[in-house]
Amino acid sequence: MSNNEILLMAHLMRRVGFGSTKDELNKYVKKGYDNQVDEILDLEPNYEVSNHMINRYQPDYESPMGSSANGATWLYRMVWSDFPFKEKISLFWHGIFATGYAKLANGYVLADQIRMFSKYGLGNYQDLLLHLSKDPAMIIWLDNCESHKGAINENYGRELLELFSMGTGNYTEKDIKEAARAFTGWTIANKDYMTAKSQRDSVWPYGRLAMHFEYKEDDHDGDEKTFLGETGKFNGEDIIEIICKQKATAKFISRHIYSFFVEDEPPVPEWPYKEPNNPEAIEALSEVYFDKGYNIKEMLRFLFKSKFFKSEKVWNKRVKSPIELVAGTLRITKEFSRPDKQQSLTNSHTQFMGQHAMNPPSVEGWHWGTEWLDSGTVVERVNFSSSKLGNVNNLGIRRIIDNIKSNISNQFTPEFLIEIVLEELGAIIVSKTTKDTLNDFVKSKIDSEKALTDDNLSEFLQLVGAMPEYQRT
Amino acid sequence: MTTSFKIKSRKTMGLAAMQGRGFYYPFDLSFDSNNRIYVLGRGHDYDTRGCRITVMDMNEEYHGTFASFGTQDGQFMWPSSIVISNSDKIYVSDEYLNKITIMTTEGKFISSFGQFGEDDGQFDGPNGLVFDNENNLYVVDHRNGRIQVFDEEGNFIRKFSSQGKSEGNLNLPWGITFHSDDRLYVSDWGNHRIQEFTTDGEFVRSVGSNGDKEENILHPSSCAIDDIGNIYVSDWGNHKLKVFDKEGDFLCSNRGEATLSEWAKDFLNTNVEEKEARLKSNLDFDLEIFKNDPFKESAHIEKLFWCPTSLTFHKGNLLIVDSSRHRIQVYNKVYKV
Repeated sequence: MSNNEILLMAHLMRRVGFGSTKDELNKYVKKGYDNQVDEILDLEPNYEVSNHMINRYQPDYESPMGSSANGATWLYRMVWSDFPFKEKISLFWHGIFATGYAKLANGYVLADQIRMFSKYGLGNYQDLLLHLSKDPAMIIWLDNCESHKGAINENYGRELLELFSMGTGNYTEKDIKEAARAFTGWTIANKDYMTAKSQRDSVWPYGRLAMHFEYKEDDHDGDEKTFLGETGKFNGEDIIEIICKQKATAKFISRHIYSFFVEDEPPVPEWPYKEPNNPEAIEALSEVYFDKGYNIKEMLRFLFKSKFFKSEKVWNKRVKSPIELVAGTLRITKEFSRPDKQQSLTNSHTQFMGQHAMNPPSVEGWHWGTEWLDSGTVVERVNFSSSKLGNVNNLGIRRIIDNIKSNISNQFTPEFLIEIVLEELGAIIVSKTTKDTLNDFVKSKIDSEKALTDDNLSEFLQLVGAMPEYQRT
Repeated sequence: MTTSFKIKSRKTMGLAAMQGRGFYYPFDLSFDSNNRIYVLGRGHDYDTRGCRITVMDMNEEYHGTFASFGTQDGQFMWPSSIVISNSDKIYVSDEYLNKITIMTTEGKFISSFGQFGEDDGQFDGPNGLVFDNENNLYVVDHRNGRIQVFDEEGNFIRKFSSQGKSEGNLNLPWGITFHSDDRLYVSDWGNHRIQEFTTDGEFVRSVGSNGDKEENILHPSSCAIDDIGNIYVSDWGNHKLKVFDKEGDFLCSNRGEATLSEWAKDFLNTNVEEKEARLKSNLDFDLEIFKNDPFKESAHIEKLFWCPTSLTFHKGNLLIVDSSRHRIQVYNKVYKV
């Protein structure tokens, strides 16, 4: 097993999930890279703790009344899944189809939307857009329930084209209006009551109510429409079918996938004016999109096995989003072996770092990449990761410290200690500057095997948590 | 001709409320000697105001609230169960703080006992509470998989059972009920059954099992026994009320029939816009998407039970704490059809 195989597997596991420990990486490398990719894509994950267990102790996590329990529940799944790829996929789609609590005032329907992403997010893109268009959270968020035959609200039609499929410059204002006409009648059951409760943030009389899609034939504009050059008595399904045939859609979704899994692209509004970082990769992904019938899973299979994904040039290129940072750290520390009240506080940290799950700043979602970092959020990120990695009472940290002590016996050198620690935390690659800093610390604090105390190792792990490389994926 | 049985709703009490009149994730209730009901609110991590005790009666008269979230005397973090002794002292278990708090019915703190651990008198998640006829307090020490017995002052007397799956063992048990024939019924949540013990801790029998049939139960949270020995189970995982006869044979079940409580009517009468929109709505629908997912079904259909956590018989009424709907559904005893 070569060091490069470990490093490549570490890169894969950081991108498809939230990172892996040294023991996990060794196990996966033995399986072989391609086999590991296939397993991640094709197997259903196992969760160490069941929904029943969560709900018994934290009833609000599964039947949320407020805005935050959703994120906390989701975070549990990220931490307790053996392969948190489904959660990563949901996070990917949540970033694109960003829907927020501020307008809905109903956590359950938002949680339902995330479950929908998990269920359909690896399937056919046309199918996913269809479920999205029928999703109650989206219907309220973009006002499609207020779009009627003869009195359209074009909000959903506009965002479907601009943010969810093709991007600006590939359609006309007329197309937006025609799409909106096609989606008239796509609403939610008991719309007046549900929207009244949302508008008033009402939990009365008996808590929040879940919602479901309803098609109202009598409110649907069944007349002829012309959309992207095609004419017919289109309904919403037809609009989605036409959208998915477009090259612009293939390119748009490929660029999103590349940006999330390979390297950060500029924010979406800049896409019409900036070429992709790797146009060949986007082109290749677009081909897979058409060749495999818009299948997202097959696009990802191609991507994870591609040279451009495996290239060392993109390792550690992305800035971890707050959710990736927190989930990855909690998977290392393993501090929540069962439902715990502290989980709610931990989840709040993603909000302090600028990413409140299911409460994005706008329909455009969050701007990723270096935009996660400002003077306030960097302090929050460093404080979080340092304090968590430095807590020797956390089960995962205890195990790491014990491993370090046993592996280093009679072979202590500062370089070897640094190597072991970085391996234990998931084969982190660091720059020469960072390595020098770590070396200085070890030489000043841990000058021999006798100095491998819990306190000193805790301090060293805190320093690793503060490294710029720990903030990247 | 086969005899069939039914259980019917009488009324619904309560209202979702973060503070004041109403409940927020109620977990349990108990009656004092004046027939007042003390409803224990769990609240939740992001809104701790719900962590309180709401006092009311069967006529839905509201008598105020007391207790709050915190770690000080008389405060709770994850309150789980409440019971009132013959001398009208309130006992509340807190599965986060690992202690039992004793208070007056006016909400004044008296004392507390317990701490985290496995030794006698220590707890790992105290849950269900019940008194027997001799004023012994039985505490479900759920993560230790055992029942501990104390006197009214909290002095340890004895313990029984242990963690496991075999007969007489417990796996994350939740509620506990005492029946006047000196029998204890423990809701063995993790083993999907009700276990009957003598007050000395001898295993008597087990009722219910996991599976996909109507008579099966999934993660029971509580049970109650009527005057002829019928066993009522809050089938928390299936979101149902299940009834078994005294032999343990299945009689019937109910998925929930909540109506508007007096407090709910008051709310809607003063919030006319919501009331009008509600009147035009169909809140009792049947859709294929819910099949085999009772949790989701309960999230959509308001009248159904959603995580029932506690059952209590009082003067012929069966009170069911319908936790995730923040209310109490009241039923009559089971009857032959």
